[in-house]
Amino acid sequence: MSPRIDRNTKVILQGISGRAGRLHSRLMHEYGTNLVAGVAPPKDINKINGIPLFPDCASAVKATGATVSIALVGAYDLLAALQEAVAAGIQMIVTPTEGMPVHDALKAKRLTQEAGVLWIGGSTPGMAVAEVAKLGFLPDVSLKSGALGLMSKSGTLSYESGFRLAQRGVGTSVWVGVGGDPVKGARYSDLVPFYAADAQTRALLIIGEIGGRDEEDFAEALKAQAFAKPVFALIAGRTAPEGVAMGHAGALTYGSHGGYAAKRAALEAAGVTVFDTLNAMVEGVARKLL
Amino acid sequence: MYLLEHDAKLLLAHHGIPTPQGCLLTDAAQINQLPPGPWIVKGQITAGGRGKAGLIKTATTPVEVAAQTAGIIGKQAKGRTVRAVRVEQQVHGASEAYLSMLLDPAAAGVRIIMAAQGGMEIESLPQDALRIATAAPDASVLAAAAEKLAATFDGATGKALAESGRAMAGAFMATEALLIEINPLFVHSDGSWVAGDAKFVTDDSALPRQPEQHALLANADGPYLETALKDAHGCDYVVVDPAGEIALLTTGAGLSMMLIDEMRSAGLKPYNFLDIRTGGLRGETKRLVSVLQWMHQGPNVKVLLINIFAGITELGEFSQLLVSALQAVPDFKVPVVARLVGNGMEAARTVLAKAGITLHSDLDAALLEVRTHLGAGQ
Repeated sequence: MSPRIDRNTKVILQGISGRAGRLHSRLMHEYGTNLVAGVAPPKDINKINGIPLFPDCASAVKATGATVSIALVGAYDLLAALQEAVAAGIQMIVTPTEGMPVHDALKAKRLTQEAGVLWIGGSTPGMAVAEVAKLGFLPDVSLKSGALGLMSKSGTLSYESGFRLAQRGVGTSVWVGVGGDPVKGARYSDLVPFYAADAQTRALLIIGEIGGRDEEDFAEALKAQAFAKPVFALIAGRTAPEGVAMGHAGALTYGSHGGYAAKRAALEAAGVTVFDTLNAMVEGVARKLL
Repeated sequence: MYLLEHDAKLLLAHHGIPTPQGCLLTDAAQINQLPPGPWIVKGQITAGGRGKAGLIKTATTPVEVAAQTAGIIGKQAKGRTVRAVRVEQQVHGASEAYLSMLLDPAAAGVRIIMAAQGGMEIESLPQDALRIATAAPDASVLAAAAEKLAATFDGATGKALAESGRAMAGAFMATEALLIEINPLFVHSDGSWVAGDAKFVTDDSALPRQPEQHALLANADGPYLETALKDAHGCDYVVVDPAGEIALLTTGAGLSMMLIDEMRSAGLKPYNFLDIRTGGLRGETKRLVSVLQWMHQGPNVKVLLINIFAGITELGEFSQLLVSALQAVPDFKVPVVARLVGNGMEAARTVLAKAGITLHSDLDAALLEVRTHLGAGQ
C-alpha cells in the first residue's frame, strides 16, 4: 500500500487508553486525521476523545472498515499488536514506540512482508501528509504542504529540518519517519517507487544517520529505479565514536560497518547531493525547489 | 551493546561454543590464575582494530605475561582506556576459517557468512572467498541453512563450519544477537575447532529479558557505561571528547548527533552526546540533575548549551524543571546558553530570564553566544 493518506482514510488507534494514546488521539484528530476507532481493553467507558472503543482490532475493523492503524503500546507488546492488526486486515500500520526488541522486529517484518502490509516503524515519530492528516507526533509547526518528499530515521532532526524548510518557504508532500531501529518496516529503498510515481513530490530529501546500510540500499534503489527527481541527503553521526549506540538502537558502527564515509560515497555515486550542515541543506533544497 | 571479547567468549561458552582457556586480568599482579601457556595477551575494549592499536601481544613466561599486561592496561585506543586484558592459551597447528551471523534488515532474516580463510578483517578477505546465505529468524531454520552452506566446504573445514554454524545458530537466536563473528575460527586437522576471536553485538532493547546480558551492567563504572546509564536513567549519554569544552543538554538522537558534527566542523569542542528524552521527564528534575552532575565531571567544560526542539513538550514547564535542576547542582558554575523551539516559548522566556538565562530561538545565535563565553574564559 502507498503511504499517502487523506482525510477519508479510516484509521484505528491500538492502545488509545494509555497516556500517549489519549494525548495523541486528540492531537491527530485536531490535525484532520480520520480516527474512526480505538482499541483498548474493555472498561466501563465506550469513547475516548469522542472516538468509539473496541476490545480488539478485528471488531474495530469490522465495524468501521478501517485500513490503517497506529499502535501506541509498549515495546514488548508491539509484535502482538502487529500480528493482531495484520490478522484483522489492516493494510498500513505505524508503530512509534521505541525499544522494540530486534528479534521481534525481524518476526514482525516477515509477517508484514508476507501479508503485503506497509509497516512504518518502530522508533518513529510517524508520518504525515502536510496540512491533510498525520499518524504520530510530527509537530504542526514543521508541517507545511509542498513538493518535497521527506524520509527520516530521526524524529528531532526531521522536526528541525521541516521547521527550517517551512520558514524558508519549502513544504513537504508525504513525510515518512522510517525510524531509528536497525530492523524496521519500510526502509528508504522500499519507498523509492512510491516517490517516483507521486505527482505532488518534485524532489526527495532523506535524513539519515550512521549505522546499518539503509542509505547504501537507498542509493542502489535510486539507480535501479532511474529516479529522475532531485534527491538530497543529510547524514548525522559523522564524528560519532565506534561501538556505542548513539541514542538510536540502529545508530551503532563497528569497524567499517555502518560508517559515514561509505554512506556518503554510495549516495553521491547515485547522484544524491549530500549536505554537511542543516543550513546548507535548507539553502540547497530551497534553491532547487523555489 | 558491543561486548568485550572476554564477555563475548563467556556468553558463547554458555551457549555451547568452545573458546581457548583464558582469564581476565585487571592488574599484572594477578598472574597466579593463568591457564597453561604459552599465551596471548589481549587488551579489552569495545571496538575492533586492537592488533593495529598494539593491544595484542604474545608471552611465553608468566613474567612476560605480567610485563605485557602492565604495558597494555592504561593504554588509550579508539577513545577508550584499556582496563583489562584477556590472557589465553595460544592455539597451535590449526588452520584459520571465518564464521559470522548478522541481521539482514532487508530480508528480515539472518545472514550467514563463511570462509575457509580467516584471521584478518572481513573487508580484507578476498570477496570470492566469502560464501553467504540468508535464513529466517528461527533457530532450526538458521541451523539447517548454516549446515547447508558449510557442506560447500571440504574436509576438516567443512566439518568445523557445520558444527560451529549449528552452535552459533542456537546462540544467535537465544541471545537475541545483532552480530556474532568468530574470526579466526581455529580448525584442527580432525575437524575439531575453537573460537579464536569473537565479536558480539547484543540488542539493548532485549536486555530486560536477557538476564545474563543484563548482569554485565552491574558494574556501573565498567565497559558498558552508556548502556548502564540508559538502563538506570532512561536517557542516552555518551562522553564524545573527555577534553571537550561544551556540555550539551539536548533531546533527540539525530539532532544531537548532527549538532555535534556541525560544532566539530566549526572548530568547537563538544563534551558529550545526550538524548534526554524530554517526554520522559514526567515533571521531575531527577534525570536533569543526574546529567548536570555527569557534565560537571568534564574537567574542561566551560559552557552549557541547551538545544531542545520540542514537538509536544511544554517548554515553560521544562524551563522550570531546568532552573530547579541547575539550582540543585550549584557546583556546576558555567554560563548557560539556551535555544528552545516549541510550545510555551513565552512562558519559557520568562522563567529563564529570572534565572539570568537568555532564550534563543535561532541555533546560530545560540552558538555565537557559546563562542562569546569560550572567548571570555581564555
